[in-house]
Amino acid sequence: MSKPAKKEGKAPTYRIPADSPWANAWKMAAGLGALGIAASAVGMFSDTHRFAFSWLFAFMFFLALGLGGLFFVLGQHLTGSGWGVPLRRTAEMLMAGLPVFLILFVPIAVNMHELYPWLEEHGAGHGEEHEGGHGGGHEGGEGHEAGGHEEHGSLLGFGTQAQAQEARDPWDVHPNEREPDTRTHTPEHAAHAEIMESKTWFLDHGLFLVRAGVYFLAWILLAYFFFTWSTRQDKEKGLALTQRMEKTAPFATFVFGFSLTFAAFDWMMSLEPSWYSTIFGVIYFAIAAIIGHAVIILLTLAMRRSGLLREAISVEHFHDIGKLLHGFIVFWAYVSVSQFLLIWYAGIPEESTYYHLRWWGGGGWMNISVVVILAGFVIPFFLLMSRNFKRNLPWLGFSAAWILVVQIGQLYWLVMPYADQTGLVETQLHLHWLDFAAFFAVGGVYMAVVLWNMTRFPLVPVGDPRLDRGLHHEVV
Amino acid sequence: MASESKKTGTKAGDAGETRPLLLLAEYESAGDVYHAAEHVRDAGYEKWDVHTPFPVHGMDKAMGLKDSSVGWIVLVMGLTGCLTAFVLMWWTNGHDYPLVIGGKPGFSLPSMIPVMFELTVLLSAFGAVFGMLGINQLPKHWHPVFYSDRFDRCTDDRFFISIEAADPKFDLDETKSMLESTHPSHVELISEEVDE
Repeated sequence: MSKPAKKEGKAPTYRIPADSPWANAWKMAAGLGALGIAASAVGMFSDTHRFAFSWLFAFMFFLALGLGGLFFVLGQHLTGSGWGVPLRRTAEMLMAGLPVFLILFVPIAVNMHELYPWLEEHGAGHGEEHEGGHGGGHEGGEGHEAGGHEEHGSLLGFGTQAQAQEARDPWDVHPNEREPDTRTHTPEHAAHAEIMESKTWFLDHGLFLVRAGVYFLAWILLAYFFFTWSTRQDKEKGLALTQRMEKTAPFATFVFGFSLTFAAFDWMMSLEPSWYSTIFGVIYFAIAAIIGHAVIILLTLAMRRSGLLREAISVEHFHDIGKLLHGFIVFWAYVSVSQFLLIWYAGIPEESTYYHLRWWGGGGWMNISVVVILAGFVIPFFLLMSRNFKRNLPWLGFSAAWILVVQIGQLYWLVMPYADQTGLVETQLHLHWLDFAAFFAVGGVYMAVVLWNMTRFPLVPVGDPRLDRGLHHEVV
Repeated sequence: MASESKKTGTKAGDAGETRPLLLLAEYESAGDVYHAAEHVRDAGYEKWDVHTPFPVHGMDKAMGLKDSSVGWIVLVMGLTGCLTAFVLMWWTNGHDYPLVIGGKPGFSLPSMIPVMFELTVLLSAFGAVFGMLGINQLPKHWHPVFYSDRFDRCTDDRFFISIEAADPKFDLDETKSMLESTHPSHVELISEEVDE
């Protein structure tokens, strides 16, 4: 062993050559993004309500990807990792796309009143005037009616609420559920007055935007510093920048953790303002970690296919990042069950509405819940279990793609039940063309930035003192 | 370079007849022992081992070791644990003697998840630890290498290859010259006294 001297010859530059398809990939992403934005713009005027939700779904998915990249970079510096150095630049590219979310957030900020029911209520007092529940909260309900949830058959769903109710075991009926009175489940209802009262100061229009500004400031600064330091090291070499990044990483991790948690509270949890779960931010973190690792695997595998990174990233690296992906899937399942179990045990109305909406709420969401559990945890748990599976690159790529698709579904499952809601316990699942338009708009713009950055910098941190150790990494 | 020392089970000197137990070759670097291991592997020996003070990368390849079967033991143990927890809870509270706890159904999967998870982890860990010990035949209280004084340095700065006399290919002269061709710093024969 200890024969690090491979083929000397020309040292690879790890640059994308001008004739590589990767050199122009960002243009394709930008084109898709432009198409998506054009379609979304049409949708924003024809169906503002649906547009806001579709955009939020796409935004939260790709934001998770950017934050997943940031997390990978921070983890590498926290642990002083040598093995992951060749993979780190790909994660840094994902991270460096974070600032673009400030612009992508504008449609959410503009359409807040479509998304967040607490905004309607604000200033109007705890309204007796809101009788029709959440739907009535929308002025005239024009967006809501245009969404037309009645006539859209569910594309994915095969279960209707009537079937769901028939299939119920009498044991399973929660006392609050026996008479499905949607009025008692609105955030405006007196039963939730106390909770809503205590949240009024936090769920405030101005403070919400200030907080969003703080999150973006934090992410932009983290992405800026960790990216510029790392790319500066490409030229400067030396240990100093590595030490600076490692010294900054612990503090940066705190900033990352708090900003991600509160962003998840603000942007996703407050869709149902009377509901709360302290672990919700952790779940969003787990999703971000899964998406980040899966996309790093897919991007590096795809680059290897076209001949890039072959000298840098070997099956040993894929084995290790495959282990991390497997671990984060278990972690995600663990925290998801932790949230569910406490709510299930207590069975109190303001908490259980969240799962009620996604299970007994009808409209096909129960099917997505089952798919997320089976395809999100049970199947990938076995897909990535064996050492030989993780070292089989086509298999690993398939597993990562599978996991990524399920996580898109999971984000959809987290955001979209509130789009077609009639009261807090009933909803209708239907795919809308705006879901795709917004997904391409947000994803196209973000990936264009990521892919464009890839053409500007080496694909591996060539100045990192640990690079050589990373290149010869071997799993014992 | 290659000297030869004899040890016997009873430390009884040269009296009586002896039987070879093991040939022990000593190397000064991880690189030397790595290439020597490749050599021994290619010579087709089966009952042999490499002893190093620290894990040497790629040694399993150099020794031609197959994939460890610990993973399969862990899989079976984990599934057993999961199933045991499920059956236990289903039988006791779901079937045999249902009790209403917290207004929940007697047989309710959510409340089973933590126990199923914990028992899966527990039995998997047992499978990993005890499976590893079993496959390595540990703990081992006696082994011919313990008779070598030089072997103590295995925990410090020396690397060893041992070939057991029980190996079907073992031939005292042939094996010794084979080992000597791998540039060891020392080759030692360990033998025991034959009881009458």
